Amino acid sequence: MRGPRVYLLLAGAAFRAEFQYRGNLFINIIGGLFYQGVGLAFIWAVLDRFGQVGGWGLGEIAFLYGIRLTAHGLWLLPGHQLIHVDEVVIEGEYDRYLVRPVAPLVQLLTRRVRLSSLGDLAGGVVLLSIASASAPVDWSPGAVGFLLLAVVGGALVEGSLQLAASALVFRMKRVSPIKFAIDMIFSDFGNYPLKIFGPVAGFGLTFVFPLAFVAYLPATVLMGREEELAVPDWLAWGAPAIGVVLMYAAYRFWERQSRHYESSGH
Amino acid sequence: MTAPATARASAKTVPVSAKRPLTTLLQAYLACARMEFRAALTYRTAYLSSFAMMLLQIWLLTVVWKALYDGRAEVDGLSLTTTTAYATLTTLQYQLVSPWRSSPIDQRVREGKVAVDLLRPVGFPGQMLSGQLGWASAAVPVLLVALPFALLIGAGQAPASTAAGLAYPVALLGALLVNQLLGLLLGMVSFWTLEVSGALMAYRFVAQFFSGALVPLWFMPGPIRVAAEWLPFQATAYTPAAVYLGQIEGPGIAVALGVQLAWIAALGALSAFVWSRARRRVMAQGG
Repeated sequence: MRGPRVYLLLAGAAFRAEFQYRGNLFINIIGGLFYQGVGLAFIWAVLDRFGQVGGWGLGEIAFLYGIRLTAHGLWLLPGHQLIHVDEVVIEGEYDRYLVRPVAPLVQLLTRRVRLSSLGDLAGGVVLLSIASASAPVDWSPGAVGFLLLAVVGGALVEGSLQLAASALVFRMKRVSPIKFAIDMIFSDFGNYPLKIFGPVAGFGLTFVFPLAFVAYLPATVLMGREEELAVPDWLAWGAPAIGVVLMYAAYRFWERQSRHYESSGH
Repeated sequence: MTAPATARASAKTVPVSAKRPLTTLLQAYLACARMEFRAALTYRTAYLSSFAMMLLQIWLLTVVWKALYDGRAEVDGLSLTTTTAYATLTTLQYQLVSPWRSSPIDQRVREGKVAVDLLRPVGFPGQMLSGQLGWASAAVPVLLVALPFALLIGAGQAPASTAAGLAYPVALLGALLVNQLLGLLLGMVSFWTLEVSGALMAYRFVAQFFSGALVPLWFMPGPIRVAAEWLPFQATAYTPAAVYLGQIEGPGIAVALGVQLAWIAALGALSAFVWSRARRRVMAQGG
């Protein structure tokens, strides 16, 4: 198993490099927390007055938010560097990756780490732990196991879309606007029960843009609210598997598209 | 890249003399604004996609408010249409008045470009401020194009009264100035510490929340609302929108505009003071 070992070595080096700036580390984590906090602050402020949205109270929304945020942080920690894919390809940094004996994607992912993703992850874990205690879920060992799988699956769903969008860089050269839009849809739309968006957008956000599989479907079945779902129960329980399938497809897409790389000539 | 060329042109049009007529000074500031206006338009895809995202945001807020109202006609005396019109208006305004990319100073200090700025015969804070305003005004052309779509997706309302219609542009200008002065102040922090990105991030979200751009002040929980009223951020989003929709009316409009003016004066004075300290600390990084 050479691949994972090389990945861990390179990722470890990137971590050590970033940990050299302690003060900055702290402030970056705080920055990451604020980034996600403003959405939560909005929901908290309005639910304080309105009580519920789409039949979901603050506890239930916090649980949904916690799953989404943890999945987001879990994806972002290894995957953040994809945000720089434009400059890596345009400025020809990708040339260097091709002449080294490690997969280019691994080198791209480990070029640096962005420690604000630790803020997202920490915020998500804290929120999810608090919300899990108050959410109306029967915490059997099976339910806990499903929650953990769902969080990993959610990270894979978000990651797969970002990876697929990044792969377009080999043909389009500049894909960051697409990726910002994807990120915005996940972080703004992902925090609400899908049913408030109506049937058409609900279908779109399940089968065209698979947002529902990140948090909404797992949270709904865990809280026993299956009756509000527009999709069969088994699909909701299968959400973690969807993440694996999508990530595999996205990886294959990346591999294929990367053959279209044109060096900027260095 | 047209930016360097324009920079030279602007320096040339201003004669280096102790006494400069006001028009020449204005021309120089206008040149700074134009430079940033062009820079903002350089990245077309990013620029255009930010408007697609704005429309998405308006749709999201409209749907969420509808779900929150849950069939009720009014909550706290406010109708759903007023609230969705508020959300539409603040999201549109946000393109013009937002704490994002509030000041180019930290980047210019890091890249050493600040040395060139200081050599120009117009005051540095003035250059930065007019540049920031130029950058913000780049949103105007597409805002006009996006407006009908925004009204279709969200909700539009005519100004609540003639007074509201007349006061709105004034309040919007006040919002723009308060926001840019805050950005200028924050940007000048980079003369003391180079790494401001984390602090900037935190500032942006605090500013966004307390500005009322997401939750109107009238729906904020008691203590939060009090805090929001005492902070300058409400003057950047809530004030113009509430004036327009008639939630601030009559003598209240004068008070709200007075509060904006007071913030402009206070922040302006503070900026001048901070700059008088900062100029002695300028350390150009080999630009």
